[in-house]
Amino acid sequence: MEAYLKYFDLLDLSPEATIDEIRKNYSDLKALYSGDSIEITALNEDYSQELIQDYLLRLDCAYEELSLLLENKRPVVIKKTITMDDGMSDWIKSINNFTGVALRTIRERMGVDVKEIFAATRIQPQYLEDIENEKFSSFRAEVYLRSYLIEYTRFLSLDTEKVLADYLPRYRKFQGINADI
Amino acid sequence: MENSGKHCKIWAVGGGKGGTGKSFITSSMGTSLALKGSKTILLDADLGGANLHTFFGLNRPRYSLSDFFDKKIPLQDIIVHSGIANLGLVTGSLGSLDSEGINYAQKQKLFRHIRTLDADHILIDLGGGTHINTLDTFLLADRMIVVTVPEVTAIENMYQFIKSVYFRKMKFIFKTYDLNTTIQETWKNRAAHNIRSLKDLIAHLKDSSEHIRSIFDREMSGFIVHIVVNQVRTPKDILMGENLQNVCMNFLGLPVIYSGYARQDEAVQKNINSKEPFMIFNRISPVVKEIKTLTENIITGTQLIIRKDLANGSLP
Repeated sequence: MEAYLKYFDLLDLSPEATIDEIRKNYSDLKALYSGDSIEITALNEDYSQELIQDYLLRLDCAYEELSLLLENKRPVVIKKTITMDDGMSDWIKSINNFTGVALRTIRERMGVDVKEIFAATRIQPQYLEDIENEKFSSFRAEVYLRSYLIEYTRFLSLDTEKVLADYLPRYRKFQGINADI
Repeated sequence: MENSGKHCKIWAVGGGKGGTGKSFITSSMGTSLALKGSKTILLDADLGGANLHTFFGLNRPRYSLSDFFDKKIPLQDIIVHSGIANLGLVTGSLGSLDSEGINYAQKQKLFRHIRTLDADHILIDLGGGTHINTLDTFLLADRMIVVTVPEVTAIENMYQFIKSVYFRKMKFIFKTYDLNTTIQETWKNRAAHNIRSLKDLIAHLKDSSEHIRSIFDREMSGFIVHIVVNQVRTPKDILMGENLQNVCMNFLGLPVIYSGYARQDEAVQKNINSKEPFMIFNRISPVVKEIKTLTENIITGTQLIIRKDLANGSLP
């Protein structure tokens, strides 16, 4: 637990922080220390690329550990009960390719609005739509997309592992192509 | 610190760079406290330009701080009325606190006398610079406040000021424990210990012995500097205070609290130029609320709470 307290500390948060606050502080701090902000350049001799890199590395690690912790311990969110008859669940079971389009089709057939997913998960509707449109450029790192997908699939009572295994490789391929450019 | 059992709290306002609005913030915080009914005294110790009285539309009063030192006039008799209920003012004079001629004993004497004054809060405007006299006066206060503006030069000077203050305090404490050679030796051999910054030095000293670690924990734990960001123009400027707090912690190892900000406001500038205390004359400027908030945060030692959606909008 000691380690987790350190992670919260690094992200400038109290241990009661929610996953959203963790996400927000992580991206804010990352932006602050990755860019050439006034706050950083004014450090002069107290600043070195090496120190910053070391800090960013610890920040990434803290964020990953904390998201894992919170995902597992997360209290069950109150959501509208999704009525799934046998026909529907058989249909979902038959799906093997969880593309964005497939995810949207499932969601719409369940009669769920993205706003409802937002209300329960606090994931911005924009990101939910980006997942369904496979607009990969919206996700700066796999860790974001992954955690959003976990929330999304849990809300729809889908097989999370199955969806991740099918969906994430396309994102990685996109990232790989991007890295080459 | 002697007589610290007294109810009166001493606030020191410094911050390295000149022109960041220390006198403006000091006079406004003082007014805010006085308006709330606390007996407050402002003390002007700014070398370069002792002009705190101007914020209240006063001419330079007859007596100043130098009369306390040179002519032994009681501090009580130097206080002039600011024109605002509950608010008194002690004017500075060139070369008073910043002069090399005033030694540590005299400064302590001044603080002893300050603490006997009949007041709830005493606010000292220190002016700019990192002169040893300024640092020592800053350290004698119960509440340490730095004022900066969202500009790279001001922030450079602010980091430098907080670092200098911390280092000064550290040296002072090590001296009282007869450890001053330790700190000097360590710093001299910093290359060997892979010490690149004040933060590294602190970490190294703490790790070097359990004794030193306990001294740090005991003596330095109360060291907290309050940051005020003045002349903000954009939401980004407001958020800068949070960033400064984070950078100070992570890269300098210095505990600071972002207490609040005051925006750039033409109307306030106009008040000052007409020698009108704006907290009284100007009831509509958002700066009035901002000053009240930051003053309250300094009293309670709390961090400014910023609305989460601020970054996307305009100034609140």
